[in-house]
Amino acid sequence: MVPHSAIILFLIPVVAVFLLGVDSAFAQQSTHNYIIHRIEIWALFYRLMVVAFVIGAVVMGSIAYVVWRFRESHPKNRGDITPARAGGAQH
Amino acid sequence: MGHATIEWIYIGVVIAVLVYVGADAWNVERLLDVSNAPAEAEVVKVTGQQWLWTFEHEDGKKEISELHLVKGKPYRFEVTSIDVIHAFNMPDFATLIDAVPGRINTVWLVPDQSGEYLIQCREYCGFSHYQMRAKLIVEEPTGGSNVTKAAAEIPSKGVTAVSS
Repeated sequence: MVPHSAIILFLIPVVAVFLLGVDSAFAQQSTHNYIIHRIEIWALFYRLMVVAFVIGAVVMGSIAYVVWRFRESHPKNRGDITPARAGGAQH
Repeated sequence: MGHATIEWIYIGVVIAVLVYVGADAWNVERLLDVSNAPAEAEVVKVTGQQWLWTFEHEDGKKEISELHLVKGKPYRFEVTSIDVIHAFNMPDFATLIDAVPGRINTVWLVPDQSGEYLIQCREYCGFSHYQMRAKLIVEEPTGGSNVTKAAAEIPSKGVTAVSS
């Protein structure tokens, strides 16, 4: 079993590098002699928007999965787990 | 893979994202700090008052409610106020800094697009706050200096913040 601290230490650089890749795909860069405020600030804005939407998508996806998986009609929830079917107490 | 592992992965990703967001924002703020302003930047003294802006260039030339800059040339704005708190804002160049009486705040900028742009007050400063506007005119460079060469490399039209 991999220790949890190792998972975290592994994920931090992996996610950071992934996000840097997203950065270069979406952002214009100051390529001239001077740093252009407008470009740097909007590039930061777009990078953070990408992060926000990715997190939003992951959270919404997780919620959708939980709702789908743990609905009453899901096949895995139709076992002998209810008291009536398992011969448990009837109220 | 048990539940605990998934939770630790989740925690790791969250920490990584938070670290990235903080570090990236901090880095951009550091890049744009006045300490990184080019040494050759021209100082423009900006003074806010109810309800107009005045500008004074290094050569002593003064302008009221109108500011002429040269494309591709670095400028350092020393911003203050003589009455109440204002905020010096050039939205097209993503520049904003408070103008505070008795204090000089500094921001620097290289205008990379020529044309006419808005300067406005972004801190409510009284009755005519909404009229406290000035015109920013960025002109094409005409001389033969290094600044001109740098400006020549900057495209004049169609520059947006996003490109592939």
